[in-house]
Parts: sequence; C-alpha cells; structure tokens
Amino acid sequence: MSAPTLGKSNKIVIPTATNMVGDYWENLFTAKERGKQVVWYNGSAVNPVFQAAGLEWCHGEAFSARLAAQQLEKPAQLAGEEYGYIGELCSYARTHLGCAVLTKQARSEDENGIVGLVDQQQLASRLPAPDFFVNAYAGCSTGQQWDEISYRVFGKQVPIFNVSLPFLPSNKPDAGYLRGEEWEQASRYVADQLHKLIAFLETMTGRPFDWDALRQNMSYIKRASELRREAMALCRAAPTPATYWDWIASIAHINFMPAGPELVQYFADVKAEVQYRLDHAIPGVRNERYRLYFDGIMNWNKLGWLSRKFADADVAVVCGRYTHNAFWQEPHLIDTEDPILGMAQHYLLCPTNHGVKTLKHLTNRDCVDYGIDGIVFHASRTCRAFTNPQHLLAKSAQKELGIPSMFFEGDVADASFYKDEILESRLAAMLEGIDVRRSRV
Amino acid sequence: MPSTFTQAMLTMSAAADSPTDYVAQWKRTTGRKALGVFPMNFPSELAHAAGVLPVIIQEDREPITVGRNLLGEFNCGYTRNVADQAALGRLDVYDGFFHADHCIQLLGAIDVVREDESDKPVYFGQLMSSMSDDWAFPQVLGKMEDFRSELEKFAGRPISTADLARSIDIFDTNRRLMRTIFENRRSGDAALTSAQLQVLVKSSMIMDKEEHSELLRQVTASLNFVPRNDRIRVHLSGHFCHAPKPELLELIEDCGAIVVDDDLFHGTRYVSTDIGETGHPLEALASVYLRRNTAIPCPTRVQHEADWDRFLVDSVYASGAQGVIVLMAKFCEPHMLFYPELRKALEAKSIPLLLIETEHEGLPMESIRTRVEALVERIRRKQLSTV
Repeated sequence: MSAPTLGKSNKIVIPTATNMVGDYWENLFTAKERGKQVVWYNGSAVNPVFQAAGLEWCHGEAFSARLAAQQLEKPAQLAGEEYGYIGELCSYARTHLGCAVLTKQARSEDENGIVGLVDQQQLASRLPAPDFFVNAYAGCSTGQQWDEISYRVFGKQVPIFNVSLPFLPSNKPDAGYLRGEEWEQASRYVADQLHKLIAFLETMTGRPFDWDALRQNMSYIKRASELRREAMALCRAAPTPATYWDWIASIAHINFMPAGPELVQYFADVKAEVQYRLDHAIPGVRNERYRLYFDGIMNWNKLGWLSRKFADADVAVVCGRYTHNAFWQEPHLIDTEDPILGMAQHYLLCPTNHGVKTLKHLTNRDCVDYGIDGIVFHASRTCRAFTNPQHLLAKSAQKELGIPSMFFEGDVADASFYKDEILESRLAAMLEGIDVRRSRV
Repeated sequence: MPSTFTQAMLTMSAAADSPTDYVAQWKRTTGRKALGVFPMNFPSELAHAAGVLPVIIQEDREPITVGRNLLGEFNCGYTRNVADQAALGRLDVYDGFFHADHCIQLLGAIDVVREDESDKPVYFGQLMSSMSDDWAFPQVLGKMEDFRSELEKFAGRPISTADLARSIDIFDTNRRLMRTIFENRRSGDAALTSAQLQVLVKSSMIMDKEEHSELLRQVTASLNFVPRNDRIRVHLSGHFCHAPKPELLELIEDCGAIVVDDDLFHGTRYVSTDIGETGHPLEALASVYLRRNTAIPCPTRVQHEADWDRFLVDSVYASGAQGVIVLMAKFCEPHMLFYPELRKALEAKSIPLLLIETEHEGLPMESIRTRVEALVERIRRKQLSTV
C-alpha cells in the first residue's frame, strides 16, 4: 500500500471557520448542563425546524462520520459489537447505536452514582442523551429501522416521531426529476407530515412554534445553498479550482450547522476562494490531467488519504452524487415565506431516494456538465442504498457517454473494509485506458 | 399407486421447486396473465381479483453469475438471485411485476428487473413502514386504491367489489387450512416435517389458490396425528422474504431437534392473519397490513407498540419450545438491527439461542450440524441438571 503524499492536493481552507464544526459539537455536549432539550435524528436535514423550536440537535450519521474522520470510531463500534450488532450492518447505524449504548451506560452510571468503565473523555460517549427522536429518513429502509432501534435501546422511554418519506421509483410515464404526478403527490404527503412534526415539537417543548424563526432559518439556508451551488458551478472550468473533497469537507456546514449569518458567510467565503483561484489559475490539484466523478457515499475513515491519493495520480475528483445531488441542492424550490413544501421536496431529493432512471439522468448530466473522463464508484460494503444502482449507472455512462468506470472497496465508517491495493491498481488501469482513448482522438 | 397425500405433496413440491414451470403451464391452460410479486406485503388478493395469477418470486437454486455484476456482493442472497433471474431471462414467464415493500436492497433488484424486462410493467406502490402514525391507515388505503387501478390496467379488466370479496375469501380459506396444520404442530402433532410444511407454504405463494386449497384438503384428510418423540423442541425465527433451504431444515431435525413453532415468512408469518368478512374490501386489505404486524411483528416495519422480542418469548412459552434457532439471511439489515433485542430478551429468560446465518451460495452443513447438536446437548444438559 503506497501512502499518498502531501504534494499535489490543494484543499480549500477558510481560516475564519476552521473550528466551526468542532465548536458545534463541543457546544452540543454541554446541552444538558445548559438546560436544553436535545433531539436525536438521522437522515433528512430537519434541523431548521429544531432550531426554530429552540432545540439542540444531534444528527446521528454526522456524528458517526465525525468519529470516523477522526479515527475515533472504534469505541462506539466495539460497544455496538458487544451489544450484538453484526459487522455487516450499516456502519453508520452500528457506530451511532454504539454511541447510544455508551450514552445510556454513562447516564445510568450518573444516575446510580457508580463510577464505571465508560470513559467520559472518549468522544463516542459524549453525546447528550436524547429527550426525543425524530426520524425522517428518505431512500434507505435501514434509516427508519435504525431510529426505531435507538428508541428500543433507550427502553422505549424516549418519545419518537416518524416522518415517512416515499421512495420515487418513476412508476408513471410522466415521472422524472422534479416533475410528474408521483413527485407532486409525494411532496404534498411529506409537507403534511412536517406540519404534524411541528405540532409534536410544540407538545415536546411546551411552547408555540416560531414560524418566523423557521422562515428566517430557511432564508439563510437558501442563500448558503445558492452560494454553494454557484461555487460548485465554477468547477466546470478546467483545471478545477476546487475538488470533490472540498465539498465533502463542507457537508457538515450545509447539512446541520445552525442557520444564520455565519453559515452564509462561510459559503460566501468558499465561493470567493473558488472564484479567486479561478481568476488566478490556481488549481485544486496541481497537475490536473484527469477529471473524475465520485459515486457513492464518502469513506470517512479515509478522507484525507483519498484526496491525496487521487491528487498524486494527477486526478481531480471534480464532483459526485453525494455532494452535488444532496444537501439543499435545489434552492429555487425554497419559498422563504412558506418554506414547508420546499423543505419536504428537498427531503425527497435524497440521492438514494430515486430509482435508477432518475439517477442515470443526474449522473450523466453531471458527467457532461463537468467534463468528466471517468467515474470512480465507491462500493461501500455496508451502504447498500448507495451501491444498489452503481453497476447500472456504470453501464449507462459507458453506453451513453463512452465514459469508463472503476469500482473500489471501502465503507462509510468501518475502516476494515477499505482495500487500498484494489483502488491503486484499478485507478491506474482506468487512467491508462483514458490515455489510450485520448491518443486515438 | 401413490397415496393421495403423496400425490398432493408431489404436486405442491413440483410447484415449489420450479415455479416458472408451474406458471408457464398455468398460462397455457388458462390463457391469462401471471404477475410476479415481490415479498412480503403485496396484497395478492387484489391481483387474484383481476383474474391474474400472483406469484411471489422465489429464490431459485441457480448459482448467481450475471447478478454479481448487477448488485453488490454484500446485498442479501435473495436480491442478488432476483437480479440474476432477471438478467438471465428466468423471469420471462411473468407479464409484469408489482411490489409494495420498502426494502432498499429489494428496490435495487427491482431496478434490475426494470432494466431487463423493460417491455413489462413494473409498479412499486410503497406501503408506509411506519405503522404507529395516525396517517398510516389512510396512506395504506390510498395505495390499495392505486394498486387496484394499476392492476385493472395490467389485467385489462375492472376489479369489482364482489370480485375482491371473493378473492379475499379464497385466500383466507387457504390461510386457514395451512394455519390449522401449523396449530396442530404447535399442539404436538409431528406428522409433517418442517421441510414439508415449507413446501405447503411455498407452493401456496406460487399456485392458483383454489387448486392449492384442494391439495391442502387432500393432505390434511390423509394425515393422522403423530405424537412427538423426545427430540428437543425448537422455535425457528426470522428468515424474511425467501425460504431457508430445505436441507437446512432437515439437518436441524436430524440433529435431535424438532421444530414446534416458527415465525418464518415461509411459515407461520405468511398464514398468521386473515382479512375476514368485510363490507369494504379495500379497507380490509389496508387493515390487515397493519393487523398482521401486530399479530407477528416484523423488523422491516416500524410499529412502536409491537415488540418482536416479547412476541418471540411469548411464542416460546406457548409452544413449549426449549430453544430458539434464529435463521438470519446474510446481509439482511432489518434482522441484523433487531437481533440484539431478541438476544437480550431470550437471555433474560434463560432461553437457549443459536444464530445461523444463511447464504444463497451454500451452507457449511457440517459446521451447522456441530452447532445445532451443541445447542441440543446444552438443552439436554440443562434438563438433566434441573431434575
């Protein structure tokens, strides 16, 4: 296994925001001491609603990703394993449920006054216990089951609210991305449930919901998203000023950071940096010779590793399904005066919530827009939601656009599934194939 | 001359072993359409009322080849096998495919079916998995109405209320006939092995229901009560969507165990709940979707007040089972998620438990034998120590 170097990757750093995400989590860990109610949730970004309700929120997947990115996931995964979760289970779920087990143990020890073995300083055990759960999980069926199990790990003592998000299978002839009867019906169905969620939160908090705050939150999120999308669009240029790894690094911000001026400023700074690089011919990868698309969920254990490895091979990974087809990606849908429908629609637009017909459209569209030479598919061992359509997408890209693909093995939060040699050899082979194709043109 | 029992079992076994042969023959005989249905909650009664043959697509015994290049190798064996069947033309006998369950792995397989059977209708009407919400029933009822509308288009004829009520009655009759056999087993009748019971259920998922019910009557008419011997009584749990391999069931009973109850999909789960008499058949179909999960909780559904772990313990006490063998299809996420709760509940009651993971690609029978025998010995030792 050859370790990547630091030489060619040129990641975007926003100096004023380097601690933004860390500060968020540190603040959340003290929620109980500050007398705040805490909601645990997974999947859809319903946090603007929580924020408007005066709650503090913990996105389970985000915490699992953070642990994995910092290589601190082992205690949670071990706790999950000891509890009985098999290693082939979604590692996001396994890690977060392990955190739930640790949090519950810590709470029990606190209540009993017993000094136990759980190390309070371990990041995995620091999550504040939930006051209630909200599940609003699109696409993957495991997501809804996972929160149900969290509810049972806590002995069914903590209330839970479910928002059901229909899958968009493209049943009908008029079905397509953002259009058709199926889309309209599903949008209304989810919007209705969001109103019910708000009623639930009013019961949980004992206070009326602050609709003005929600409208304001969504104004900030809409603007932040617009800036993010504008910055992404600048990367159609070759060489690209920013890479997929930069957009991965800002997922936390767009996904669950509090809505507000700071969030908008962050993405304004990101866009400004990208524009500056474009204007001054500063590339995201120092010798961009290949432009690739990354399909699949992120391998959080290998964030820095992968970004440097591709850069070493003169590859700019320009865009991907997880970054470009998720996270408030259609801000024009948000009506800031009446945001519920636009929010509902975004939750339906989770990148695993579409049948392969829509996914082919999105992938091939992005490959054309960004001038892609090849697709890298991350076959994440325990994330079947993302890997399901990958073989069909690969065939479609080859057939429709003549774009080659490669698959490498890894996982979202379990480092044991990553196979570096497979990535190296297949990447080299694909790049050679691209060279040969270019030589014939 | 084979007995009536033997002939009936042979007929049902033939359908269970080779569904496509049965379906092809049925189509030739009737001139009507066959609908491929994916497990576990599609309302087949509606399809029957439309005059088509609804067939729950079964895992077949073929090695997965092309399917391995269509879905990840870490998808469950059933979904990879479905993808393989679609890609290699083994689903060509069906005229369309309908589906109701939100299982992400199954949706991946169904996308492959859409690609490879692109000239046939493939319809997914998602029945919401979250069942404790006030809006669950209206949503499910709405989906039943959608299914009726789509099935009418598929079959080219309307489905009347009377048609549907008649189909519900036919299906309920079939379930009752099988349920009687399962109840007899629970009460101590060892006339049929667990592999034979699986044939009854699996063939019901495939065959014309009235034909199947007649065969069931022939089987039950030929059966005499056979008391159990002193084999260790076990409950088989889990294994969703597809059937455990018959040789696994035979091996379990060859190791000194006897299956006295189960909550397998190809078992009690399939026959547990009748739709019943109704003035509004679509409402009855929606209602049974919710009631069935209360009767036998499924981890693929989210229903806060339905506890599969408590159900399992209660079932063990009711049947007198001395241990539980959990059959888990490898990579089945809902099962992997719920398993620790089952384990916790059974351990709290000191009920011996064995987990066996199954795969499409074959089972390590020798090591499974060792493990089942160890479970049996453990239970026997416990029996002796309490004497």
